[in-house]
Amino acid sequence: MSLKLKALLKSPWVFHLSTGSCNNCDIEILDCLTPRFDIERFGMLLAGSIKHADVLLITGSCNRQSVVRLKRLYEQIPKPCLVVAVGECALSRGLFIPSYNCPVPLDKIIPVDVYIPGCPPKPEAIIAGVVKLIEKVKAGK
Amino acid sequence: MTREEILNDLKDRFKDDIIDVFDKSPKRVYIEIKPDSIVRFAKYVFRDLGARFNIASGVDTRQHIEILYHFIIEEINLLISLRVKLPKSKLEIDSLAPTIEATNWIEREIHELLGVNFKGHPDLRRLLLPDEWPEGVYPLRCDYQEWDENAIRDRGV
Repeated sequence: MSLKLKALLKSPWVFHLSTGSCNNCDIEILDCLTPRFDIERFGMLLAGSIKHADVLLITGSCNRQSVVRLKRLYEQIPKPCLVVAVGECALSRGLFIPSYNCPVPLDKIIPVDVYIPGCPPKPEAIIAGVVKLIEKVKAGK
Repeated sequence: MTREEILNDLKDRFKDDIIDVFDKSPKRVYIEIKPDSIVRFAKYVFRDLGARFNIASGVDTRQHIEILYHFIIEEINLLISLRVKLPKSKLEIDSLAPTIEATNWIEREIHELLGVNFKGHPDLRRLLLPDEWPEGVYPLRCDYQEWDENAIRDRGV
């Protein structure tokens, strides 16, 4: 494992991006930050700016207007970075697959490291996914 | 005024403009009117009856394109929906935006999604669709066809 990734895993700062979701996944992500689930015990903090972030956490079904913004954000995040897709919409667009406004799924736009399914996923599922991501990077895969 | 007084007043005052009145429930009434008289009618409901403009909705019913303007008179809890049927050959209606400012954005949205031309609208730009969306393609029409060759419509499994 490179030193850069090792340093990243100690305290990954997360940038939360909603590409047109219904806000349910976003509420569950906020749940993770509250003391009940307390994702900060893994060192995770929400970053206010994409330039401070190590992890890009994406919800929503990537509509035509937000794809442009998503690409711009991905160019700005310091590399190496990790990309987490949360929720059915970010994974496969869910029931918005035939929608005129959602032409391409997220993982055809930028590379995704971990998928967390659910509509919305429970905070436990988000934590499990994130921990799996950390284990995966630690194992050097 | 009570509900009956308002409905009778509208029926008397606009008897040439009203095509049909559908009394759905105590809280709701649909009034179908001629497209030409929408501005006069809506102005009367909004200014003189003191109704609040809630929202407008557009529907493609294959034969026509319907626009429903929903007005609420809050004192008596009555929702008046003004229904206008536009033929597919002539999708034009006078804009309400100079009279009622709140209709500005919803008319822009109906314009881009259903292709209705609002005459006299101050600023008929796109509201939601991206800039690269082709002209003359209206996504909420029944006969909408996929135009984007790069779109992926399967789940990849």
